[in-house]
Amino acid sequence: MSETIVSFKHVSMQFPGVLANDDVSLDIHKGEVFALVGENGAGKSTLMKILYGLNEPTTGQVFVKGEEMKTFSPSTSIAHGIGMVHQHFMLVPSFTVAQNIVMCGEPRRHRFFYDFDKANQITNELVREYGLQVNPTDRVQDISVGLQQRVEILKALHHGADILILDEPTAVLTPQETDELFAVIRSIVREKQMSIIIITHKLYEVMEISDRVGVMRQGKLIDVCETKDVNERILASMMVGKDVLLDALERTEQARRQDSAIEVEDLYVTDTRGLPAVRGLSLQVHPGEILGIAGVEGNGQSELIEAITGMCPIQRGTVKIQGKSTKGLTPGKIRQLGLAHVPEDRIATGVAAPADVTDNLLVGKEKAPEFSVAKIHLKRRSIRAYARKLFEKFDIRGAGVDTPVGSLSGGNMQKVVVAREFSYDTPVLIISQPTRGVDIGAMDFIHKQIMDKRNAGCAILLVSADLDELYRLSDRLVAIYEGKITGEFDPKTIDKAELGYYMTGARKEAEA
Amino acid sequence: MKSKAKVQYLVSLAVSVLLALVLGGVIMALTGHDPLEGYSALITGALGTKRGLGNTLAKTATLCLTGLATAVAAKAGIFNVGGEGQLYLGAIASAYVGAKLAGLSPWIGIPLCLLAAMAAGGVYAVVPAILKVKLKVSEVITTIMLNSAAIYFCSYLANGPLKTAEKGVSAGTDAIDKSFMFSKLIKMSSLTESIFIAAFIALFVWYLMSRTTIGYEMQLTGQNSRFARYSGIKSDKLAIGSMVLSGAICGLVGMFEVFGQHGRFIESVSKDFYFDGMLVAMIMHYKPFGIILMSFFFGILQIGSTAMESRVGISSELILIVQSIIIFFMAAEEGILASIQAQKIKRNSAARIAKEATEK
Repeated sequence: MSETIVSFKHVSMQFPGVLANDDVSLDIHKGEVFALVGENGAGKSTLMKILYGLNEPTTGQVFVKGEEMKTFSPSTSIAHGIGMVHQHFMLVPSFTVAQNIVMCGEPRRHRFFYDFDKANQITNELVREYGLQVNPTDRVQDISVGLQQRVEILKALHHGADILILDEPTAVLTPQETDELFAVIRSIVREKQMSIIIITHKLYEVMEISDRVGVMRQGKLIDVCETKDVNERILASMMVGKDVLLDALERTEQARRQDSAIEVEDLYVTDTRGLPAVRGLSLQVHPGEILGIAGVEGNGQSELIEAITGMCPIQRGTVKIQGKSTKGLTPGKIRQLGLAHVPEDRIATGVAAPADVTDNLLVGKEKAPEFSVAKIHLKRRSIRAYARKLFEKFDIRGAGVDTPVGSLSGGNMQKVVVAREFSYDTPVLIISQPTRGVDIGAMDFIHKQIMDKRNAGCAILLVSADLDELYRLSDRLVAIYEGKITGEFDPKTIDKAELGYYMTGARKEAEA
Repeated sequence: MKSKAKVQYLVSLAVSVLLALVLGGVIMALTGHDPLEGYSALITGALGTKRGLGNTLAKTATLCLTGLATAVAAKAGIFNVGGEGQLYLGAIASAYVGAKLAGLSPWIGIPLCLLAAMAAGGVYAVVPAILKVKLKVSEVITTIMLNSAAIYFCSYLANGPLKTAEKGVSAGTDAIDKSFMFSKLIKMSSLTESIFIAAFIALFVWYLMSRTTIGYEMQLTGQNSRFARYSGIKSDKLAIGSMVLSGAICGLVGMFEVFGQHGRFIESVSKDFYFDGMLVAMIMHYKPFGIILMSFFFGILQIGSTAMESRVGISSELILIVQSIIIFFMAAEEGILASIQAQKIKRNSAARIAKEATEK
């Protein structure tokens, strides 16, 4: 029987209005990979933040290596040998890899002088010991996300971590990088007897990497199983509490049409820092099809969408919506050409968080004769009735149409955005990350809505970081890398690994 | 949810006001006065006589208009701290026009003066608005600085180029045509016909902000300007427009002082009137209807305090303390509520978990 290294005993965590952890008791063993799965808001991150000392539990105890944690702060946890790699990395971009790794314990000469050589040497030793290749003298801002993650891991290891928490480590990685990460995890667990806790949404990764898996739902730990005893379908149904049927969506045959509803030609866009983000990109979307864009985040997808919708300026090239150029038009005018847009960041762009659901559903229609007299006087009764109708149709759960949108969960907030944008009945839809941070139930619902729009003849451009989503919805797939399209595929015939090559710029030459 | 938040807010407000009044009473008692006597003198002073009531209503109108001016800009996301300067410019512009047009029928003259006041205040407010919208310059800084610029500029005009030749006026412009003056509704009080214009404007602003597509779009612009742009709302125009309206209202307040009280522009035309109204607006979370009510309450306090001083001998400064306590409590409202909530949650969940543990 393996030795218990971390033990949660009746841990509860109460946030205002939410019981984030509800009487959780859980043992983690030495030398295992433990996966923690659950929908968004199930309490996985909260529980791990308690272990890392970022949250103090309302009640309950936490034992690490038999010793009770009395105070909760990251420094105590680090002293107990706990390391955490957050979803958003906590690195200093302008520092080198080595400087980041030795931070908070820098080697010195004569007490006052930073010993850079020693820092690089320490890093090289770590690299040799754990087999995680990094170059100590590279600046963090210049290296890829995958490498940055390695730096985070090495940093935790350098600080003496033997219990490592990884919060959604693969969210930003390509399939190849994920494989490499998993190889490293396996080797450090096997050779160093480390314990790894991995928080994830992706069930196939759980199956691949973990020894045991814990499922959380609404703050409670539903069950802990040996991974070999379960499969993805069982886990998914435990997560949502009912059988989820991510069955094939009903896809009606559309006559192949040659006219393009969205036409992008030789487009160049720069990002907010003035660096080229989209570089000579062309694409067309025909009515009645979904074109999926697959790419690792930060390869120009965001800028492409913003350029099409008028949120950021175009450097060169043209965008045509329904055959009309968007040159010099504001986002509002581009919408009038027949476009609606589900933005990638719903809180920053997609809603006015302090405003209530009604106000967020109405926008864009306030001057329609159904909702205002002479485009000025608001007809409050018909607005409310309309909001209620949409609220029910899109199964938005929460207190009601008077609730501020900001207090809704991610999934319900996204439904508000989708409900509004789809209600314009435009022939063109630009959809970005439609189900990011959304639970499976809401995801399935949103997918059905998107497919209905396609079947009704909409031209849909879909950007997503979730490959499963792209495969499920797209009629055609293109891969984007460094602002250029690297290939076009039929989702029925290309597998994820191969697509991954195009997403990282490397073409598969051998099989070509 | 919304109504629950509303009730919570109203309770906080009532508690803040009550606590402030109680603390005011405690201070009265500590300084050797009878609090009941003090407060009754305050009430009768503000409401008990015709003249007192008139002054209270006039004060209410001023606070209410300046408060609404703050709220209009705030709705679209701009914090206008520059109302005092806009008020001064409105006052001097209307005084100048009022003197120049002497002899004209009041039916033509007064509307022109109104326009002059609104134009002066509104145009002056455009400057920080454009800087904010186009160049993202903080409007708080620009409006505060433009206050001083406007006030000293008016001071210069009143002492220099526009200084009246009349004897006995130290620093002021020429007197406006007597027939343009608003007549007093109650003798010896400062209540004039301008209260009707003020009431109309208050109603108009309330309607605009809470019942029209313009108010709705302003609100969304203020809450998330990126969202507004994404949705196709002309957020830049709305932000500038709301600032112009805010400045125009401030200009009108300046005109009312000139045409109701002084008959000309004088250097002391406003005594931080705008800032008083701004505080009222902030306490009431920029809600038009609440601003109207709170202005009346603050009007009673300010006018009643002089009566309290003369009759009972309690310094009128005490009312400043009461006002400050209300502002303090309302500013700290969120923090206080959150800590009460956190305590409650901790107790409840500890009790619940203990109960479940014993049941097992």
